[in-house]
Amino acid sequence: MKKLFFQSLMTALLAVLAVNVAIAQQPHVYINPGHGGYDSDDRNMVIYPFAQGDSAGSWESKSNLRKGLALRDILQKKGYKTSISRVTNTTADDLALSTIVALCNQSGADVFYSVHSNATGTSARSNFPMVFYRGYTGSPQIANADVLAADLEPYLYASQNTVWTNNYQIWGDWSFRPEWGTQGYGVLRGNYAVANLSEGSFHDYIPEAYRLLSFYYCWMEGWNISLGADKYFNRLDSYGLGVVTGNVRDDRLKRLQECAQPFLVYGDDNLMPVHNATARLLDGDGNEVQRCVTDTLRNGIYVFKYVTPGTYTVEVSSPLHFTQTKTVTVAANEPTYQNFFLKRVRDTPPVVVDYSPVWHEDDPAVKCSVPIVLSFNWDMDSVTTCGAFRLDPPLEGNFCWEDSYYRLVFTPVDAFDVNTLYTLTLDKSAEHGGGTPMEEDFTLQFYTQPRNHLSELAVFPYEDAPVHYKTPTVELRVDSMLDTYNLFQRLRVLDSEGTELLWNKRSIKYNKKGDDYGYIRVPLVKDIEPGKDYHLILDVDIADTAGIHLPAARDIVFHGVDAGADKPGMQVVEEFESADNYFASTGYGIGTGHTYPLTTSTDRLFGSHSMQMVYDFYDRTRILIEPINELDATFHVGDTVGVHVWGDMSYNELSVCFSAGDYTHALPLGNIDFHGWRYMTVPIKDLSNKDYKFVGFRLSRGDESMSTTGTIRFDNVLKRASSGINEARLANMEVRVAGDYIVVSADTWVQGVELIDTGGRTVKAVGGNCLNISDVARGIYLVRVYINGSTATQKVKL
Amino acid sequence: MFLLLAAAVLLPAMGQEVEVTSQRRLLEGVEGPAYHPVLNTAGDRLLFLTEAGALKMYDLTDNVTTTVADGYVAGNDACWGGDGKVYFVTQRVGEDRLVYRTGRCYDPASRQVAVMSSERHGAVHAVPATRGAAMRAPGLDARSGGDIGSAAWTEENRVHVIVGGEERVFSPVDSWAGYLWASLSPDGKRVAFFAAGKGIVVIDLRGQMLAMLGNYEMPCWYNNDYLVAQNAKDDGHQFTSSQLLLLKADGTWQTELTRPASMTMQPTCGGGRIVYTTIDGLLHEMKINIYD
Repeated sequence: MKKLFFQSLMTALLAVLAVNVAIAQQPHVYINPGHGGYDSDDRNMVIYPFAQGDSAGSWESKSNLRKGLALRDILQKKGYKTSISRVTNTTADDLALSTIVALCNQSGADVFYSVHSNATGTSARSNFPMVFYRGYTGSPQIANADVLAADLEPYLYASQNTVWTNNYQIWGDWSFRPEWGTQGYGVLRGNYAVANLSEGSFHDYIPEAYRLLSFYYCWMEGWNISLGADKYFNRLDSYGLGVVTGNVRDDRLKRLQECAQPFLVYGDDNLMPVHNATARLLDGDGNEVQRCVTDTLRNGIYVFKYVTPGTYTVEVSSPLHFTQTKTVTVAANEPTYQNFFLKRVRDTPPVVVDYSPVWHEDDPAVKCSVPIVLSFNWDMDSVTTCGAFRLDPPLEGNFCWEDSYYRLVFTPVDAFDVNTLYTLTLDKSAEHGGGTPMEEDFTLQFYTQPRNHLSELAVFPYEDAPVHYKTPTVELRVDSMLDTYNLFQRLRVLDSEGTELLWNKRSIKYNKKGDDYGYIRVPLVKDIEPGKDYHLILDVDIADTAGIHLPAARDIVFHGVDAGADKPGMQVVEEFESADNYFASTGYGIGTGHTYPLTTSTDRLFGSHSMQMVYDFYDRTRILIEPINELDATFHVGDTVGVHVWGDMSYNELSVCFSAGDYTHALPLGNIDFHGWRYMTVPIKDLSNKDYKFVGFRLSRGDESMSTTGTIRFDNVLKRASSGINEARLANMEVRVAGDYIVVSADTWVQGVELIDTGGRTVKAVGGNCLNISDVARGIYLVRVYINGSTATQKVKL
Repeated sequence: MFLLLAAAVLLPAMGQEVEVTSQRRLLEGVEGPAYHPVLNTAGDRLLFLTEAGALKMYDLTDNVTTTVADGYVAGNDACWGGDGKVYFVTQRVGEDRLVYRTGRCYDPASRQVAVMSSERHGAVHAVPATRGAAMRAPGLDARSGGDIGSAAWTEENRVHVIVGGEERVFSPVDSWAGYLWASLSPDGKRVAFFAAGKGIVVIDLRGQMLAMLGNYEMPCWYNNDYLVAQNAKDDGHQFTSSQLLLLKADGTWQTELTRPASMTMQPTCGGGRIVYTTIDGLLHEMKINIYD
């Protein structure tokens, strides 16, 4: 008896000793579910149907906790010792980073996992796992922290419950955030455990935000982290149970875009998750081992936990789908992924239940821009339905499916032809997603209106336009009211490198009801550069309120210039620093006709002011701006007059007027077809050889005039005295731009060639007839040719 | 000086006023980033950890720095024992990937390091005491001598106190995550510690709660009536602000010693000095006058 007691005592002591040894060698994992509570730093993703701040919605703090609790429970089942920094999701649990580190250090844990999900912080969307440790990549501060990360990442990335967009990444936090120096992540800083921070996925990828609402999905991330720990501690063979998990989706219905803003989806995430699908795990005898029902939170995740290794059948059923079964083999301590794509039960043939346009004989004609829309009672098969679509007369167009193949939209590539009777036939060969065809053909007819494109009335800058560099204004005018929704996004100004220049959106002007034409007028935020070329891009989908769009996209090249640049050889004859010496009226002479106040403006090119006139033609066709006292300067035939004009794109005609005491001669400077400053010149010619005085300007409504009201400004008037050289085109002279040279040919000897920019400056000159222009910027120039003591000029585009 | 609050803080109702009388960088140009400073009771010697994890000792009197232990995480939980020695824990990752820790003692006089508790898996913490120190963990009580005097430390959500040779264990407030940073007041009559989720708690030696000072971290006794603590904020990933506060131990008054944006942290007190570091490891010394 005594011997038996002694043996029993020894056995008990050995057992206690063995337990103590086992405990002493028990790996200790400290788990930190990142964040905590429902506060501003807890990463709330606003997804339908949850409002911002709704604790039932998507919060990183909440899903981190679910993952962390799952990891704790799984590790404990696997024989680990665990500590965790929080078990509820409250603000009080959101411990300071240094507190979490100190708690981990105090616990004596071997490893530390801080469990998070990620966000891009931008409008870009991606989804992949990342793991961080303290230090530089490849050089961790705590030995083995990189090994712990490398052991974990493949298990996270192996998940087939999600859709990854990129490969996984492992970083030392000092390398990943070099701007933080060696501060790094707060929970890794000063942490003595072999520590990792894992960003399991990206919660701002919206399908992932829905998955992170699933307890099952979060549990699986906990399971996968536990596998990382098993790998690290060489304990993969120490646990005998596995898991089966997967995603249940419809095999063709599209995921609904239910959030306030459309969101990006990738791969299988395009398909709709199936709610309330019942997944059953059946053993070899067909006995149910486990059952799991997918939630209604748009993720379709199921999981069977702690499954004995072996071969099973997974059966997934849903009230709206055909049941599917698949065979799976479960291995110990491994995840088994099995996704399902369920086929819907469609028990009637497809029919068109609604359509557009609806038109009958004697109805008003249909706009040429409207799409053809067919709605069906079932989701349709794209190939057979589009193949059954016949339009007479035929027209090239694009098919687009909406509402998960329930609605087909046909949009012409351009527009329907005008005044045309169209007949659409949808042949009964069109099938729904289950393969059943329609029982009858469907037809519709409509007659189109006599207008199918937006007509461009004017645009500035127009092709080759010189544009003063100072925050230029762009304007497009069309023949009907523009649809202004996001219209500014359909016009772009690009520099020569293709970089888009920003609009000053606060200064956009749009057409409004009652305007004579549709327009958008918008300045750029910044100046452009003189001497450089730019592109104004007009998208083809610039459309009016009826959806009628431009006939084609346009790429308009224009040139930056400095309208106030020095003009060598030009003499200033009027500075317009004051408006006192001028009056404006609709008749000749002071006090005749309607008069207009002339003021000064600080929007000028020179000095302190320019002269400004705000005008309204009323029923008149011209306005004269005249000096009260004539200027000293005298002009002669052969001289050139130049005027700096601030235009309003009115397309009114501006002339500069001269008189030799007899009557007024108006020399046309051109149409005001521009915004901002421009230097306008005209030679004095076709007049008698007299002394002429500058007697002002004439603004006239011409055939192209687009506005009876507006504002015009004038700055320095210049005069270039005639050199006596006949600048008329010399006979048989030809100027050619040939590769890197301007080559001038004539029937006599060419003495020299001079290249002059739009500001009047000589850019290059050469004796002889060949001017190398390989180093000259593209743009519009004047070529002055010297031949036999005479000169001639010609405009060239380089 | 940008770190400083112009700290002539006056609260007329309470009558306290604090004046920062001096403030300077320590070891500027001599040491790289330094963290977790620990002053001795006299305030003339300072322990700190380097960026590389070495434990060093800085003698503020003769301006000499000595390496106590080299290598990363070589100086966990370093503290000054009441006997003037340095007690700390080293750790090693074993081939089984478990972390093994050893308690050690450094004698500044002989410059010798002695093993105080042999290598073991799991937690080991150096506990300072008024006449020595101890290495404590569940199942471990290695003391520097027979009578180490008074001591206070935390394990999980318990605060342990040794008074008159008797070890007492208290849990005066609920804190699921646990307690941290326990220390005895200079007169040995009170204990301040941090309860996660609750903040700094002051108790007497019978475990009776005397005051809760707010949800701040790393309290250290400036004198018998005041503590200095860290008030750090973060966004869940990194620190967004951190400052030092002066707290009256009875919970009736507090004031800022540094601005939130100063990123000052990890205060330690001794001999009328306050030493702290910054997020980027710049050690500073501050001296203050408190006018009651």
